[in-house]
Amino acid sequence: MRLEDVWLRYHRRGPWVLRQADVAIGPGEVAVVLGRNGVGKSTLLQLAAGVLRPTRGRVVDRPAAVGWVPERFPADQPFTVGAYLAAMARVAGLPGAEADRAVRRWVDRLGLARFRDVRLPQLSKGTAQKVGLAQALLRPPGLLVLDEPWEGLDAAARDLVPEVIGEVLAEGGAVLVSDHRGETVRLPGARHWSVADGTVTEATPTGAAATVVVELSVPAAAVSAAVARLRADGHHVLRIRDHAVPPPATRPGSDSPSTAAPAPVSGADHSGPDPDEAPVPGAPGSDRSPDEVPVPGAPGSDRSPDEVPVPGAPGSDHSSDAVPVPGGSGRSGPASEVAR
Amino acid sequence: MTALVRLRLAGFLRTGRALAPVLAGLLALGVLYGGGQAQPAEAYGVSAVVLFPVLAWQTKILLDVEPDVQRRLARVVVGPARERAAGLLAAAVAGLGTIAVALVFPWLVGGVTGPGPGDRPLAEGLALGLWAHLLALPAAVALGALASRAITRSAGYGVAVLTVGAVTAVVLGLSRSAAPWLVPPVLPTARALAGPLAASTGVLLTAWALAWAAVALAGYVWGRRSRA
Repeated sequence: MRLEDVWLRYHRRGPWVLRQADVAIGPGEVAVVLGRNGVGKSTLLQLAAGVLRPTRGRVVDRPAAVGWVPERFPADQPFTVGAYLAAMARVAGLPGAEADRAVRRWVDRLGLARFRDVRLPQLSKGTAQKVGLAQALLRPPGLLVLDEPWEGLDAAARDLVPEVIGEVLAEGGAVLVSDHRGETVRLPGARHWSVADGTVTEATPTGAAATVVVELSVPAAAVSAAVARLRADGHHVLRIRDHAVPPPATRPGSDSPSTAAPAPVSGADHSGPDPDEAPVPGAPGSDRSPDEVPVPGAPGSDRSPDEVPVPGAPGSDHSSDAVPVPGGSGRSGPASEVAR
Repeated sequence: MTALVRLRLAGFLRTGRALAPVLAGLLALGVLYGGGQAQPAEAYGVSAVVLFPVLAWQTKILLDVEPDVQRRLARVVVGPARERAAGLLAAAVAGLGTIAVALVFPWLVGGVTGPGPGDRPLAEGLALGLWAHLLALPAAVALGALASRAITRSAGYGVAVLTVGAVTAVVLGLSRSAAPWLVPPVLPTARALAGPLAASTGVLLTAWALAWAAVALAGYVWGRRSRA
């Protein structure tokens, strides 16, 4: 999908919100849209999703099935969660039985089962946001557009977002996601589009930014074999250390409810945060150093580091030797090695 | 698209906001038929005039009940053309319900008389009454759509569009109007039904009503291009 010389203003005599936007995203790719509040991130996402029509220019090759997760789910509707999702599945063209299956799948997956008969206006913000996420996924999207998907979500659901993104990418979909809290460090390998002063620029990934660091733990006895195997696969082993206490501040941010929770996913971008998106002190990921990214108890440890689309994706092999959580196993733990 | 029509009708009926136009319609019909009895065709002609603003208001409410973001979600899922069409169709279906009530109502309150000698046969009177209401419906839906929040973006402008549309339809529809073509032919239809109706007049009124609705709906579609 491409935005070709796209300009947008909301009113005939209004200011240009976006000027000359020229960006493209292909199947299996994820792009993170960064920028300050009110700079036009949502506008860009809505142009891509087809909510807004460009004032000038055009959007070409948009996939037929687009899932859009708005920044705020419109909960002021007289339906229950189950009825709403079933209706949206039918609106998306799914036939009866398939619609029911899709609704059941996403209701279970997103932990909405006990809210199924609750009316939308009674939902908490986070739960409503999950309904917003579910409706976008009922029909497998060729393009998934997520506007601040982490807002209001609890720790478990936050971890689910990169997992879901990984699945959409694996099925050949493209994903656009905006974020101003630094949560997108969970999306290693994502392209970065920065919006500032009405223009969109793509941060060219440097050699360092194109790679990610994965920490994994192996039994001490097998470390030589594991290192040899990783090197044989073309990976760069950065260091080997002998105890598994992860560095502090795995997920800093006192405002985040996820601080105390295990972080099954991590990854960091060597390019660091975008200058326009400088995370506030204490924001998640703000003080991470790429070489110190722990993967506490990370599923997906059987994947090679440069192939990890979204760590924590289902189907990954959770090693019993993995370091469980920050503050976990202490000196007696297995050897840990950092590969790059 | 049927699914979206159903979703919007359900949203309209469940919020209880459908009650206001229904009550207003019943009140107007009560006043209309409270005064005495008339032949069906003539009575229905006036009833269509009275219902025109009610149908337009009902359309505006139906379209406005849905939150803006939900309307945009629907647009992403089914595409802009079908999203617009589904809203208009849902409004038309709701309008047909109101019209059915309007056709039955006078018989319940004794507002119409059966045909006497020399009058139109009953079936013809009923058919002409249905025709008069169906002529008013597309224009009313178009006016309501133009007054909807998606186009006017504010409650004040919405009410203004609705009021100006309904009042000018009456004022410019009077028999000595300088520019009757600017408004849908609700009053000319009522006048035509008061006496014998020539086939050519019927065709002309039908074409007029459809053309007006088509122009107004084109305005709605054009306005929605930049208003999601």
